[in-house]
Amino acid sequence: MPVDLKAVTRRPPETVKIWVRRFHPEKGATWWQSYEVKTHRGMTVLDALLKIKAETDHTLVFRYSCRMGVCGSCGLVVNGEPRLSCQTQIAEKATQEKPEIRLEPLYNFPVLRDLLTDFSEFFEKHRKVRPYLIRLDKEERENPKLEYEQRPEELEEYYEYTLCISCGLCAAACPVYASNPKFLGPHALAQAYRYLADSRDEGWRLRLEELDEDGSAYRCHFAASCSYVCPKVVDPAGAIQRLRRALLTYKFRLFRKRTAKPVEPMKEAKPTVPLPPEAEPIEGVDLSALEREEALIPKQKLLED
Amino acid sequence: MKAQKNRLGVLGSFKLMGANLRDNPERVAFLMHRITGIILVGFIFAHIISTNSLARNGWEHWMAVEVEHLRTLNPISLAFFIAMGAAVFHGLNGIRLLLVEALALWIGRPEKPKPPYVAPSLKGFQRRAIYAVFALWLIIWAAIGYVMFLW
Ligand code: SF4
Ligand code: FES
Repeated sequence: MPVDLKAVTRRPPETVKIWVRRFHPEKGATWWQSYEVKTHRGMTVLDALLKIKAETDHTLVFRYSCRMGVCGSCGLVVNGEPRLSCQTQIAEKATQEKPEIRLEPLYNFPVLRDLLTDFSEFFEKHRKVRPYLIRLDKEERENPKLEYEQRPEELEEYYEYTLCISCGLCAAACPVYASNPKFLGPHALAQAYRYLADSRDEGWRLRLEELDEDGSAYRCHFAASCSYVCPKVVDPAGAIQRLRRALLTYKFRLFRKRTAKPVEPMKEAKPTVPLPPEAEPIEGVDLSALEREEALIPKQKLLED
Repeated sequence: MKAQKNRLGVLGSFKLMGANLRDNPERVAFLMHRITGIILVGFIFAHIISTNSLARNGWEHWMAVEVEHLRTLNPISLAFFIAMGAAVFHGLNGIRLLLVEALALWIGRPEKPKPPYVAPSLKGFQRRAIYAVFALWLIIWAAIGYVMFLW
């Protein structure tokens, strides 16, 4: 998300007019409603909505939870751009010349009421790509004993995609998701690639067959809006291109993947690694005395509780 | 109680979602690819109709009419000029998209996010390729205009 990091230090306009596109399900009515909000430095769009709800209009409906960009439930469209409302400063979107902000529910998601959207289809698509590790050995899967070995480079291959918080902003921004209801969407495809690229996963044949049959990966046109709006820099656009390359190489029977095995159980305790000679202790500190010192919480107590 | 459908449909292609030429030219290029594609479809039909109706009077005659129409500024030559610009952009951008989409070239490597939090695929070489596409397109289009109207 192209956040203006300096916005939090600026003073927003004294009062800001917040336009909200509202929807009433029983009446089936949609209308734009405006609220005047007194601002303060550092106020986010979510703060403004909470203030409206507390002071002006308690019928306004929206969703949030963590208020700090972790839970991914507060996605909105702010001035035509999908955003997390808790991560968008009023000062970033409203200027002195035009102290106005327009809020809409996330595009491409059914609206339940006001700014509240329904994510069932989104999560259903996530479920479709099997977002879990597949291991072929049943015994190992049911009764795992030790962790899988994985090199740091292998972690780096997919780590970025694990940061996704399922906020749905990418799906709201995607032009293909907007026009093709069958398209799995940037979020689900990025997760598909995340498990495909994970060296601990052995289900690549199944995954690639399913994704090829589904065809969603081929629908992407690299508008890269998903990577642009993503608040966690997950880069779904990059993931989809890599997924497509994997599918292409798979079709030519060239796809190779090294899968990780569980680590070997340790045979014996290894000796402590001595300090390198250049590691000088701080003057006047006797390291060996420190090692002999009783811990603050006795080990025995830790084991008992 | 019924939920409101909120899918943008085809209109979604024509919204920029906050994109601009500096931060997300990919989306701008996508939109232009769409528009130039539509123009090209229109051009193909117009082309079929025009060659078909004129060629009945012989090839020589058709060439003469064509030259006469296209060397001076009039609605037909302007439409032709726009179609040529669309073709050049569609082609150049298409080459870039082929490399990015089929081979996953130029999109950087996955990395741990760090400030200023720009996704790797938006920082990769394809970003410079987009600007190259825009620049080349304008140059070639200007050259076509020069040849058509001023030469
Ligand atoms: S990929 Fe990014 S924008 Fe999409 S759901 Fe995950 S965190 Fe949100
Ligand atoms: S409230 Fe949790 S991400 Fe905004």
